[in-house]
Amino acid sequence: MSTVNDFGKNKAFLIDMTKCTGCRGCQVACKQWNQLEAENTEFFSGEGYENPPAMSEFTFTRIKFRDYERNGQSEFAFYKEMCMHCNDAACVSVCPVAAFVKTPEGPVIYKTKTCIGCRFCMIACPFGVPKYEWSKAFPLVRKCTGCYSRVKEGLKPACVTTCPTAITYGPREEMIKEAERRLSAYPDRYLPKVYGKDEAGGTCVIYLTALPFDELGFKPVTMRALPSYTWQALRLVPGIFIGVGATLSAISWFQHRKERVQNEQAGMLSAMFQHPREQESQAQEDQTSQDVKEDQRS
Amino acid sequence: MTAAKAIINEIQGYHRFIKFLIFLVVLAALGGAIRFIFGLGATTNLNDTYPWGLWISFDVVTAVPLAAGAFTIGVVAHVFRIEKLEPLVRPAIVTGFLGYSLVCVGLLLDLGQPQRGVYVLFPWNWNVHSPMFEVSMCVMAYTTVLFLEFLHPVSERFGWHIPLRLLRNLQVPFAILAAMISTLHQSTLGTFFLIAVDKLHALWYTPLLPLQFWLSAIFTGLCIVMLEASLCHRYMGQPDESKLLATLTRIVPWVMGAYMIFKFVPLIAAPQGPLFDRPVLTTLFIAEITIGLFLPFWMFLQSRIRTDKSMQLQAASLVIFGLVLNRFNVSMFAMIQPGQQIYYPNILESVVTLGIIAAHILFFVLIAKYFPIFEHHPEAVDYSIPDRFHKIEKAGSVEVVEAPPQPAVPRAQPSPVAD
Ligand code: SF4
Ligand code: SF4
Ligand code: SF4
Repeated sequence: MSTVNDFGKNKAFLIDMTKCTGCRGCQVACKQWNQLEAENTEFFSGEGYENPPAMSEFTFTRIKFRDYERNGQSEFAFYKEMCMHCNDAACVSVCPVAAFVKTPEGPVIYKTKTCIGCRFCMIACPFGVPKYEWSKAFPLVRKCTGCYSRVKEGLKPACVTTCPTAITYGPREEMIKEAERRLSAYPDRYLPKVYGKDEAGGTCVIYLTALPFDELGFKPVTMRALPSYTWQALRLVPGIFIGVGATLSAISWFQHRKERVQNEQAGMLSAMFQHPREQESQAQEDQTSQDVKEDQRS
Repeated sequence: MTAAKAIINEIQGYHRFIKFLIFLVVLAALGGAIRFIFGLGATTNLNDTYPWGLWISFDVVTAVPLAAGAFTIGVVAHVFRIEKLEPLVRPAIVTGFLGYSLVCVGLLLDLGQPQRGVYVLFPWNWNVHSPMFEVSMCVMAYTTVLFLEFLHPVSERFGWHIPLRLLRNLQVPFAILAAMISTLHQSTLGTFFLIAVDKLHALWYTPLLPLQFWLSAIFTGLCIVMLEASLCHRYMGQPDESKLLATLTRIVPWVMGAYMIFKFVPLIAAPQGPLFDRPVLTTLFIAEITIGLFLPFWMFLQSRIRTDKSMQLQAASLVIFGLVLNRFNVSMFAMIQPGQQIYYPNILESVVTLGIIAAHILFFVLIAKYFPIFEHHPEAVDYSIPDRFHKIEKAGSVEVVEAPPQPAVPRAQPSPVAD
């Protein structure tokens, strides 16, 4: 799929949700850098203080809010929703025209000039990330680009630059090490899990939280890279194609031969009852099968 | 001017039903125009939660197996050489050709950037890991093959002998090629949903989904042939083919049996998750397998039903119902997550899909009216390959002259038939 196999060197986000203050600076920075339109919002339109109500063609990242009780006090928990920049990404594997590309730097990017708009990527993405420009006559897919244009130039993504507390950015293996260090250093502060280490075959966005992930709205996903599910069927394609062709050709050849032999045997008898034109064609038929027989003998 | 008048006169002579079909097609064309002016969001009920709706579920995922009759009957008649089935082949090819052309139309409406459809063909865009890539290549290739096969009655109609002879010699290779391509894309339509690991409900999700899709396409294809022959007999004054169809009804239960094995064994042996946790899906599943699978399977096993033409039709219709329900279950109902708002197609979407179905029937009737798709009598023609003695030319000219139903020429040989 991608040319990168050593994902450890990919740039990855380490997002520590326990350190997030919910300032939503990342949301704004993302809109600014990507020049995304503002959306009409309303308080409490979604599940809480979060706004806009969902990721969309205009919103690539978003902070989800959760109220919960701790020690008799109500507290907030946050979850930054964005493209996970999967190592072996479902969106990359299903696109019929390879409009999604896993870059060697890590971000999964989308080529607007290639996409034909089948929306298979939207079906395939286990995190529900790619969104569509539903209002346009010739729409395209929109999603977080991992600020590829910045990363390529050695900068950090816009949201990382803005975030005062929660996001760290760097090579994936270092981010995982750092996450594990925090887990062992402050075991009471975190759930003992590095989300993104193995999820969907490993992602370049890694989370630490204090609340169970499903309560925060993380999607339950498989630990296997998604493309392997389809590839186990697709890899058989050439074999099946040739196999079906060969089998049917053999059957067809065999049936023809059987028929010719039968014709030959029946020829003598039926000749007596045949219309002259039929007889003529019969003679030719016999000739043909004679030829075939000789071919086979030699 | 006169040509236009002639056409108008011709259309005015059509049956009410045909006019109604034309009306539906025109409505659908308007719907299509609206999609290209105002966008998918305005025309359909699709949104970010439901990127695929009726147009994919019916016009592609369901319509492709429904058009499988052409390749299945082609294999049965030309590869296994059950030659008496020959009269069923041509109508099936026409249906298949129309079916695939309309799949392409549906797909172009649904694509966000239909003008870029050809990008799939450019080698620098190829992505062999994509099931969609494979299906689009196959659909394009197969539509071409079907078009060439469809040229057969066309060249007969216009008396083009050279292409006719060529096509006749290519008949068996085409039947094989059609089966090869169809095997790939029918099964790969199932592969589509393998990527929806945590989305598709466990009642349908299994790694064997491609195999299930392929098998169900085969037996449904044969049932479509039955349906079509029965309807042509009833409404278009074509001869009663129920004897021939009885041959098909013997093949169908075998394939259905295989399908059942590959459907239920993985479900029982290796379920991919909780099976009966959602009552609506359980109901849909039970409806699919009882009405659309067990009942027709049982019917096809009864020799009384196999040979009775109205019962044949009923059993075949049940199978088709089962397939449609199955494809909708996989591509739509079972993809809905608990707690999600429900998708339902809006009026415009439905009108377009209805129009596509109407277009299919309409074009079939019109082609049957103007081209010899029923008058084809294989007994007059020797199908052996190669055609060294230009027999086809003779037979072809005979057929062109005799447009009305021909006096059946006595068969050259009793063809060896399986039973
Ligand atoms: S910028 Fe950082 S702290 Fe602020 S909402 Fe985003 S992730 Fe949380
Ligand atoms: S999260 Fe979705 S869109 Fe992002 S890389 Fe993974 S599969 Fe692709
Ligand atoms: S919508 Fe575009 S990017 Fe997504 S799979 Fe289809 S062609 Fe690829």
